[in-house]
Amino acid sequence: MIAYIIRRLLGMIPMLFAITVFVFLMMHLAPGNAIEAMINPRIKDIAALKQQLEIQNGLNLPLPLQYWHWLINVLHGNFGWSFGQHEEVTQLLGPAMYNTLILAVLSEILILLIGIPVGILQARSPYGKFDYTVSTASFVLFSVPYYVFAIFLIYLFAIHWHVFPAQNSVGTGPLAGTFVDHIWHAMLPAISIALTNNTVYSRYTRGSMLDVARQDYVRTARAKGIPERVVYSKHVFRNARIPIVTQLGFDLGGLLGGAVIIEGLFSYQGMGYLTITAVSQRDYPVIMATTLIFAVCVLLGNLVADILTAVVDPRVRYN
Amino acid sequence: MADVVDKVEPVVSVRDLRTYFIHKAEEVRAVDGIDLDVYRGQIVCIVGESGSGKSMTALSLMRLVPKPRGKIVSGKIMFHGVDIMQLSEAEMTKLRGNEISMIFQEPMTALNPVLTIGDQIAEVLVHHRRVGKRETTAKAVEMLQFVGVPRAEQVLREYPHQLSGGMRQRVMIAMAMICEPKVLIADEPTTALDVTIQTQVLQLMRKMRDDFGTSIILITHDLGVVADMADQVIVMYAGQVVESANADALFEEPLHPYTIALLKSVPTIDQETEVLYYIPGSVPDATEFPTGCRFADRCPLAMASCFETAPEVREVRPGHLVRCHLVD
Repeated sequence: MIAYIIRRLLGMIPMLFAITVFVFLMMHLAPGNAIEAMINPRIKDIAALKQQLEIQNGLNLPLPLQYWHWLINVLHGNFGWSFGQHEEVTQLLGPAMYNTLILAVLSEILILLIGIPVGILQARSPYGKFDYTVSTASFVLFSVPYYVFAIFLIYLFAIHWHVFPAQNSVGTGPLAGTFVDHIWHAMLPAISIALTNNTVYSRYTRGSMLDVARQDYVRTARAKGIPERVVYSKHVFRNARIPIVTQLGFDLGGLLGGAVIIEGLFSYQGMGYLTITAVSQRDYPVIMATTLIFAVCVLLGNLVADILTAVVDPRVRYN
Repeated sequence: MADVVDKVEPVVSVRDLRTYFIHKAEEVRAVDGIDLDVYRGQIVCIVGESGSGKSMTALSLMRLVPKPRGKIVSGKIMFHGVDIMQLSEAEMTKLRGNEISMIFQEPMTALNPVLTIGDQIAEVLVHHRRVGKRETTAKAVEMLQFVGVPRAEQVLREYPHQLSGGMRQRVMIAMAMICEPKVLIADEPTTALDVTIQTQVLQLMRKMRDDFGTSIILITHDLGVVADMADQVIVMYAGQVVESANADALFEEPLHPYTIALLKSVPTIDQETEVLYYIPGSVPDATEFPTGCRFADRCPLAMASCFETAPEVREVRPGHLVRCHLVD
């Protein structure tokens, strides 16, 4: 297994290289650049100043050379200087990644605790009252865009009941900056993400459970005199969870990259928030950094999905 | 063979069993009035073509008819004098795998792919015997060795996909027999196996009967298997028993035209004709059986009365039951 993980990690290197080329080219194909965004248009000699700044920032060099410099710097952990926020990009990434990690893990926990158990209960008595109720509710929840829920949640929990904060990732007061404080601020965005995802996961779980419940080996388990409760928790669920676990791994990768819209809505200072701020300022060192990290997260998520699949399915062995 | 059979009181006695299905809002009469007696140490073969209701009969005996579409609508299933139709689901769970076991046709899909062989065998003991872990393992190893699985201790830690079809069916038998049940129901246990493995598995089942006195209900469409194994044979057609007799009597003098046709359709090595015999037509639709004899349409000897009145089962020779107007 460890050999497999190392092999997979090494295999990611060419993929990552291709991604850096892609990210770099995309940024330079976009019209305009950060220098134009930085300069006050009322300055007299714009052309001269622009040229001077371009030379300062190495933007006059041929593209392959610019890429080379950028790549070398990235490999040294230096993502450059943020034009928009006047700070080292690395300095911005640290807290943003931490916040997004909290948000992603919290969302996944909510999905595990709600979506999957609900799906299991649905599958226990399919086409029953509970199943129909949840199915209908799921379709409604899934059809409404999640930012609508986010606003609704803000109204209920933040404005009406004052339970959770509606903004920021850190608060004020004695608990400010502690882990609990971070969790507290991540609650509403996490619930928003989990709400929509729960409908998807409960459906996955229900479908997978029902699919497995039809299998011959479930009949064998019953024929052996295994109580129905154990038939479901052991024989059915251990098979039904395989595709769900795989999906969970993929989704974790995506969530770690940052939830752009939700973080924007809640002004939650994670990777997604950092990205939109950077985009609006044409702050491309930051955009390139967050895009690259997003790509790495997705790749790692795939790896995690594969590893989790191997853990729960003995038929999958990577040797 | 017959000295093993103890004919005092049947272990399993079924009377007028009817199991119906709902399929596309229509009632399918899969099992339509079956009588069956199985004595201690007896091997009873249920023969019939696909759709004759033999597998449903087996599942009915376990009360494992797929819910909610299937339902045992009437009948008595006596097991050691207790009508299992009256038992609660919890009481039935205690019986399954403990007193009555079942093995299935497809050893490839009948074992859980994500649990070890050891776990799947052990859980039978855990639920029925409440014994310790060490004792369970010892018993599992002993049973695997008994059914002829080599390197048993290692196999316990393996998963089904690591074993061959024959080995898996042996594991299934070990699992079914570990509590030494009184009755083993085997639904086409050898159909999916190679011929050489088939023989070994059948031999193993006979050994089970000889060593434990287990009664076996063997469901098959293979008359070769029947000739090899059966003490008593029950021929099923369209959800009903059409003929029931001692194996020797049945092969010597088959009485029902369907049984005769079945035996004729078995190819033999010294056959003179090039063309294989087959029974024309197919089993009637179980949603609307004809008013007369269910086999009349395909019967070469059918008379006018066969299409009008349904024949009842009659004992035409001692212990030889036939459902046919023609036989007397």
